[in-house]
Amino acid sequence: MEAELNRFAEEAAEKIAQCRTPNDILNARAQFLGKKSMLNGLFARLRELPAEQRPAFGQLINTARGKLESLLASREQEIKSAAWEAQAAVDFDSSMPGYSWQRGSFHPVSIIRRQIEDVFLGMGFEIAEGPEIEDEFHNFDALNTPDDHPSRNLADTFYLESGKLLRTQTSTVQIRVMESFKPPIRIISPGRCYRNDKPDPSHSPVFQQVEALVVDRGISMSDLQDTLQNFARAMFGPQVKSRIRPHFFPFTEPSAEMDISCVNCSGAGCRVCKNSGWLEMGGAGMVDPAVFKMVGIDPEIYTGFAFGLGIERIAMLKYDIPDMRILFENDIRMLAQFKGESL
Amino acid sequence: MIISRNWLAKYVPLEMDDDALNQALTFSGIEVEAIDHIPALPPEVVTARIISAEKLEDSEHLTLCMVDIGDGSEPRQVVCGAPNCSAGMVSVLALPGAVLGELTIKSARLRGVESHGMLCSERELGISEDHAGIIRLPEDTPLGKSVNELYELPDTIFEVEITPNRPDLLGYEGIARDLSAALNLPLYIKEPQPVPGVDSDAIGLSLSIVEPQLCPRYTARLLADIKLADSPLWLKTALIKSGMRPINNVVDITNYVMLETGHPLHAFDYDLLQGETEDAAHPSIIVRRAKDKEKFMALDGNEYELDGQDLVIADGKNAGALAGVIGGKQTAISDATKRVVLESAAFQPQTVRRSSYNHKVSTDSSYRFERHQSPEMAARTSLRATQLLVELAGAMVIGDLYDAYPQPVQRWMVALRKSRISLLIGYEMAEAKVKEYLGNLGLEYVKDGAWQEELLHDASEIKECDISSKCEAAMWFAIPPKRVDLLREVDLIEELARLDGYHKVPVKTPPSIIMDKHAYRIRNQVLDYLVGIGFYETLNYSFNDPAQLQLLGIDPQENTHKLINPQSGNQALMRISLLPQLLDNLRYNLNHGERNLKLMELARLYPADQNVEPLHCTALVTGQLRAGHWQNPGRQINFFDIKGMVTGLLELLDLPGTKMEPLAKSWLSQTRNLAWFIEDKPVAQIGALQPAIADKFGIDLSQLRQELWVIELDVHLLTEISRNRKRTFVPLPRFPSVSRDLSFVVANHISWEHIYRLVKGVDEYLISNVEIFDEYRGKQVPEGLRSLSLRLILQDKEKTLTDNRIDALVDSVIKELAEECKIQLR
Repeated sequence: MEAELNRFAEEAAEKIAQCRTPNDILNARAQFLGKKSMLNGLFARLRELPAEQRPAFGQLINTARGKLESLLASREQEIKSAAWEAQAAVDFDSSMPGYSWQRGSFHPVSIIRRQIEDVFLGMGFEIAEGPEIEDEFHNFDALNTPDDHPSRNLADTFYLESGKLLRTQTSTVQIRVMESFKPPIRIISPGRCYRNDKPDPSHSPVFQQVEALVVDRGISMSDLQDTLQNFARAMFGPQVKSRIRPHFFPFTEPSAEMDISCVNCSGAGCRVCKNSGWLEMGGAGMVDPAVFKMVGIDPEIYTGFAFGLGIERIAMLKYDIPDMRILFENDIRMLAQFKGESL
Repeated sequence: MIISRNWLAKYVPLEMDDDALNQALTFSGIEVEAIDHIPALPPEVVTARIISAEKLEDSEHLTLCMVDIGDGSEPRQVVCGAPNCSAGMVSVLALPGAVLGELTIKSARLRGVESHGMLCSERELGISEDHAGIIRLPEDTPLGKSVNELYELPDTIFEVEITPNRPDLLGYEGIARDLSAALNLPLYIKEPQPVPGVDSDAIGLSLSIVEPQLCPRYTARLLADIKLADSPLWLKTALIKSGMRPINNVVDITNYVMLETGHPLHAFDYDLLQGETEDAAHPSIIVRRAKDKEKFMALDGNEYELDGQDLVIADGKNAGALAGVIGGKQTAISDATKRVVLESAAFQPQTVRRSSYNHKVSTDSSYRFERHQSPEMAARTSLRATQLLVELAGAMVIGDLYDAYPQPVQRWMVALRKSRISLLIGYEMAEAKVKEYLGNLGLEYVKDGAWQEELLHDASEIKECDISSKCEAAMWFAIPPKRVDLLREVDLIEELARLDGYHKVPVKTPPSIIMDKHAYRIRNQVLDYLVGIGFYETLNYSFNDPAQLQLLGIDPQENTHKLINPQSGNQALMRISLLPQLLDNLRYNLNHGERNLKLMELARLYPADQNVEPLHCTALVTGQLRAGHWQNPGRQINFFDIKGMVTGLLELLDLPGTKMEPLAKSWLSQTRNLAWFIEDKPVAQIGALQPAIADKFGIDLSQLRQELWVIELDVHLLTEISRNRKRTFVPLPRFPSVSRDLSFVVANHISWEHIYRLVKGVDEYLISNVEIFDEYRGKQVPEGLRSLSLRLILQDKEKTLTDNRIDALVDSVIKELAEECKIQLR
């Protein structure tokens, strides 16, 4: 009888494996486990066995039944899954375009501006803004610009009928902040600036600058180096080097020009850096004591550094944009290229 | 750890109130987790003797007592339910009129018997959680006395958390020392005086440490003639208030001294200790590792199976204690105890921690030893306990202290550079102040010398620091052995910073005030939102062309800044509208074949009559919504798409519920335009650009068969209005909402806004929302009418809405609409 049971179980397992449809499963279940199944028949024949063998054989039958039940269940699941996949696969082409919320894009100058803001916010700077329509005091006098300095000319600076002017750099915000707040001061001021330059590949009458100013006890050129280095690495990558070299500005002393190693050739020399290996980033220096006196900060107690960067220039460098005028065309074929640039 | 203010005040004068003490503890680095004030008891609560106690008939647990309060008056009849109530005992009686917390004692009848007061448990007096029975006071307690004096009430119990680096704070003395150092208060800690022992040959001990690594010091003191009894009330009170149960005078004294000094002690019954051999002259104490599977029956009644990692205090035969963790039952103090071995030892913290952890038994002793107790303190602690045993248990001290201390801890000295202090804590501290603080903590200033990082053990090793030698000047301090945590210069600096108060550490950079973070956030949110829903950000010069302004119907002369030296005539004005250049940008892109465009610019405007340069945003939209998808044929963007864009932004800025109505603009459609007002100022506007205007900018809308939508946002106003907004959580509704739909026909000229307000107005509280889910105009509906379908969302915050209330509410809505709008239900 045991041999009979084993044979039956083997056969049933084979049949179950051959089931193809839910209906097959239904039939197989009736055939192998139903009332008239052979398994049930074996139960009825238990009596034929000696009493002491009955429990053990009964258990065998139950084990076999359990096995068949789980085989049926798993085969049924397989059939269902296959059917579900087959149904979906009929006319499915996963390469067709998705239905997305078509995202717009930030202007590349905005992207760079916000990236710069992020870098400085991370370094503990605050963002300060000021008016673009300025007076001569904040734009020139307070910044230690001589009365006869050529930058004050109509050919360089836009003037308004009201007697005011359009700021030529965001350093005006330095003055406004130092007038209103006591050190320690640690700010950047991004924003639009204006110079009477005809638009050409590297000039625009309207452009954006970001100015950094740190005033505290014990601030030295070493802090300037530090900040500049951190900024250059955050913006252009960890391999980028920075340097400062002597220059002249009326509002800083010592004054410096800031360079970073060429992001195109890593300093080897190429067309972007005109074979110098270095790219000019902007002006910098230690705040001139005359500027401090103008805003009522004691230069004996406090020292500070400031520097200014052109945002368009950084955007052009970073994205390899050859002509500044492209930035003001607002061609969405250009703008769309920056969808993937995060702020 | 639980400490009583009154007990603490024995070591340091505490004149401040509880809040100030809390403050002082907190800033000295002792975190206060809970404060429990035990108020003074009313004068009606007095000591009393139970003269007689008889079981009350018909009651299983009530006793009828006659109680004497010692004032010569007649004994009072009191019914008491406590099981330990018996004749002769002295207890505490609350007389009628006494107020105990929320309970006022009154004369009452219990089971028909009069009762004039209540005999009290400790819990009823608020001094502990014990409520097993009424208080039993010593027999000789004077009667009729206020209980406040006996229990030192009022008192305040502080539950404090001692950080693991400060084992010296695990006793009252340590906390007092710290407070005295921080607050510059006198400290009353008495050094126990030596107690001479009596020589006796009859009693002795064989002491040996097998594992000096695990037990650097073991002292044992033999005491005879112990009179085991209850502890005096002051001692019991002290233990109870510190969260311990009094047991008997010997055990109580070891606990008391542990709480006082932080150093745990243990007492063995001398007569239960065995020798190593049957004929040994004296019993033994052997500090050894447990044998593998050695059985140990502990005081907590559990049997532990030990292993070679455990350290035990054994006699000649068996483990008598799991070192530093728990004593054994076999050698425990009992009523029969006459002679005692008082253990005061030091154990390696790791060993105690491991045993405590492995066997899951944590005790006041293991808690302290785990955190490292100095071997140097063992003898002093033993002496203090001995003193009390002599005083309170009539003990006779036998011989000298047995003191196994193979490698005494060498006193150590730490160098401290003055310059280093200011470098670390940010301000200068005067040398005198440094010495005073550290002196108050028990550190001894040795001398000045050359700085070195390594500890020194002898003052003679300190090198001179003269100008010629290359060295840094430092002050050398000898550390009291109890302060096992003071090993490095920084450890001393931490003490100084702590005692002087962290609040004195100056703020180097004052908090930010320059940046307008809110404006920055709003600006970014607006830009991010618009780019997220598909806009391309443009950037244009800050100038307006006067001619273009005129095309829009704006007077270029009015309210504008004029440039003296513009580069060209079309850049002669500072911008007062972003629209003209955006239209130029749109035309430029249309000319390149783009049909679906969403352009925006976020920039300042420069109106001459304002002293700010307000940030504005203008956006143009034309073409299809999510154009050209193979599965979803596009449709032209309509008014409600644009409206939704603004609604979404206002939600993002948390400015919903804004008033909306059309606002005439010379370049927008008169009908298809809408403005949002907050505080009666227009903050946003949308509308269809007039085709004639578009035409003037070279955009032929009729040829394109497209509408051109304009969005204008006053970002400056949005920023100012949303400043200082505060979001508060509204608890979630606990009852389900229900919805009811309503369809009706109504005249076209009646706006949805009007209907919405009417419906909401029926019951602002219960009608939580009204949604519109269908509009129909056409054949089924007469000319001039439209069919609307509303969904009312109804919710009561207090209870589930019944059908009756729902129906009544819906009826009111229908009635209101019928009266006000002449609706006809469908």
